[in-house]
Amino acid sequence: MGPRSGRPLIAFALVLLGALALASPAQAISLAPETPRSPNAEAIATTYWVMLAIAAALIVAVNGALIAAVVRFRARRSRRPGRTPSGRGPLRPALAGLSLLVVALVVFGVVMTAAVRDVDESGPEGLEAALTQTAQVGISGVPAADPFATDAPEDPAETSPLEIDAIAQRWVWRFGYPGGEAGQGLFTYGELVVPVDTTVILNVTSTDVSHSYWVPALGGQVQATPGSTSETWFKAQEEGRYAGNSTIFSGTGFPSLRSWVRVVSVSEYRSFLAALGSELQDAQGAVAEDEGEQAEEAEGEAGEEEAP
Amino acid sequence: MRSFNGRRQRPEIVTRGIPRPRPAWIERATSADHKSVGLLYIGTALVFAALAVAELVLMRIQLIVPESTIISPEIFNQLLTVGGTTAVILFAIPLALGLIGYLVPLQIGARGVALPRLNLLSYWLYAAGAVAVYASFLYAPSDAGPIAMAPLSEAAFSPSNGVDAWIAGVGLATAGFVLFAINLIATVSGMRAPGLAWRRVPPFTWAASASAWVLAVVGPAMIAALAMLFIDRNFGGIFFSAGDGGGPLLYQHLAAIYSTGLMAVALVVAAGVISEILPALAGKPLLSHRATAASLVAIAVLMPLAWIQGMYAAPLGAAWTTGAMAIALALVLPFGTLIYIWLATLWGGAIRLRASALFALGAISTLAFALGLELALAVIPVGWLLDGTAAALAAGTYAIVAASVLAGFAGLHHWFGKLTGRQLGEGVGKAALAIIVLGVHLYAIPMLLAGVDGQPADVFQYFEGTGVSGYNLVASIGAFVLAIGVLVELGNVAHSYGHGRPAAHDPWGGTSLEWFALSPPPPHNFDVVPDVRSPEPMRDIREAIRMRTETFAPPASHRRARPAEREEAEQTDSSGTPVA
Repeated sequence: MGPRSGRPLIAFALVLLGALALASPAQAISLAPETPRSPNAEAIATTYWVMLAIAAALIVAVNGALIAAVVRFRARRSRRPGRTPSGRGPLRPALAGLSLLVVALVVFGVVMTAAVRDVDESGPEGLEAALTQTAQVGISGVPAADPFATDAPEDPAETSPLEIDAIAQRWVWRFGYPGGEAGQGLFTYGELVVPVDTTVILNVTSTDVSHSYWVPALGGQVQATPGSTSETWFKAQEEGRYAGNSTIFSGTGFPSLRSWVRVVSVSEYRSFLAALGSELQDAQGAVAEDEGEQAEEAEGEAGEEEAP
Repeated sequence: MRSFNGRRQRPEIVTRGIPRPRPAWIERATSADHKSVGLLYIGTALVFAALAVAELVLMRIQLIVPESTIISPEIFNQLLTVGGTTAVILFAIPLALGLIGYLVPLQIGARGVALPRLNLLSYWLYAAGAVAVYASFLYAPSDAGPIAMAPLSEAAFSPSNGVDAWIAGVGLATAGFVLFAINLIATVSGMRAPGLAWRRVPPFTWAASASAWVLAVVGPAMIAALAMLFIDRNFGGIFFSAGDGGGPLLYQHLAAIYSTGLMAVALVVAAGVISEILPALAGKPLLSHRATAASLVAIAVLMPLAWIQGMYAAPLGAAWTTGAMAIALALVLPFGTLIYIWLATLWGGAIRLRASALFALGAISTLAFALGLELALAVIPVGWLLDGTAAALAAGTYAIVAASVLAGFAGLHHWFGKLTGRQLGEGVGKAALAIIVLGVHLYAIPMLLAGVDGQPADVFQYFEGTGVSGYNLVASIGAFVLAIGVLVELGNVAHSYGHGRPAAHDPWGGTSLEWFALSPPPPHNFDVVPDVRSPEPMRDIREAIRMRTETFAPPASHRRARPAEREEAEQTDSSGTPVA
């Protein structure tokens, strides 16, 4: 009976593998999430791999036991069904094992959740360190136009992470940066630019329906809920451009609600902000001069704050 | 004379004034006999199974290639909304309710149900809900997503009246589920045969009762949410609008309570079906009747309590999400116990690989994938990674295919003879099973991989260069295969209903009282309601008959039995001492 009943299973596995191989003319089949570039994303990836291994072990164990039971105990002429042992005896080891598994999983889950939530300090390459140096040296000035300079902590010991407001609407993200002249924020649409090795705190909210902020390389999802603000953080360890999606259905433009995080060096970040600030001033000037629509055309990323 | 059904339940001699037989369809539509209502539920649910896979196929056609424009986003979102509603609210739950409504009174040795007209009303509310949802195709169905999450479903963002039709439809169907649950709870509480104490109630009836309680609790939560949404949309309410002091999260909570509760119902009923089929087809009693019942109840209680497990990213206190994670992970214990009991029941048995047993085994196998993935998703950091992605969709697909398609069809194969008096085709059923299992893996595994690569669920398109094109191509092929499998089995059911071979009254050697009734049972179910002395009353009855007839009949071993008779003989011989 063994080889005969095994054949469909093997054929089934082959078809499955063949189909999956079809799927990868250009890509390798991989269960790996995007390479983590932030400590919280690393903790998420670790949790994912452990849970995936446990899930795979359970799936293989249950299916293996099912196949073994069917192959061994299939009804035949000679076979009489055995007696089922009575009482709680045979169940006890299973209950004990499962209870242990539950406790271990809960502990693991709580520990890993704390690890993801735990906000790291900025690293030596990061923005605060650079600011501190500047403040200590007191010369090699930040360009005067740098709006961030006005926000730099006076006291070198007093450091705080970079706080960004991430505001979702259908179907674009708006990222607001600290600094800028009083009364006018600095912001970009779609793409967030942050310095490397710097702890960034995102205050995520939405102006219309619920969305989610999620850049897999830099951490987990956080829901952008209208009327309340959620906090998440990341510390990008490598320069680069990382893509993200929203995972909460939001209507016709849902797939296009994407976001990108461009991680740059501290000096690039400064000049980026400076450019952003001056563009904003130019744009405002232009607006003041001729009620201009040029503002949006001139620079897609820098815009006026919903001026009527 | 209009109390035709009351008369059916209390047979009496009528010498005049016999009502003229009405057309069959009027009789079917108005009969409050629980068996007739059960068949209506099952038949309607199977029609919606066909529609659900058709909608899945349309959506997957759109997703074969990246940046596809075959179907417009508006129509895709309508398909997504109506398809998701169809799969769960119009197919999965009603199929379970149909099996429950037909079989539970038989299993408990009752001659009817406690509130037969309420039971009939529950079906018509469900049917009216289905009509409301589908009638919106005449103008524009809802495109607010399968659970119409507020504030997206508010009038400001989804002005289409299809959303109002959706609210009415889901509300009506849910009201039907609640009424059904009330009748079932009353029936099982008050109409069990003498001696059928709770400790002897068969696992399927345990599952049905636990599910009825779940529906009675989560259904009103959803009806409240829908009522508030309707007020928001049409009468200037602000329940879910953030700017005016409403709570957008409130709808999310209520809808999550409902959808988690429905998932619990589907899984618990499926577990009840499997717990009936395996002992019958393996020729062995369940390893532990008590632990099975306890596990079913534990799942029904714990799972809806962990409704926050899909909301880990929402702005909630850490205590809420951690508590939900702990409850969700605690589900390992009842699910693991059930699977262990099933395996231990098979182990050492003589498993007859009939279609019902194969569907049940396929359901357990697929359930392992569903539970493995859901287990991973229950841990908060994995939820932050995969919630709302195609990977979560894969887990949900595994769950609904295991619970409602495979276990549902397993139940149909097991009880089809009892329901209709005809056998459900074995060969076609086995072929359909192979196609469905192949299809679900071909669909769900690439979806899992795509989700890990960052593809959200529910998108009408994905983009070139994001590395998910190949996965989506294979997933579409898998969805088509899955749809073919489901349609083949539906064709099998339709054909067997009219043309199947006549079924025996007790073909599997089952141990509960539905096998004591004829196939199909007469209107009053039982001529004699037996005393129940053990959890396996039918085994006792068979034993008593054997004892009584043994002296008169020649021993069975004297002639070479043909296969069908041999099975019958095996069951009779294997009836050992009942396990109390």
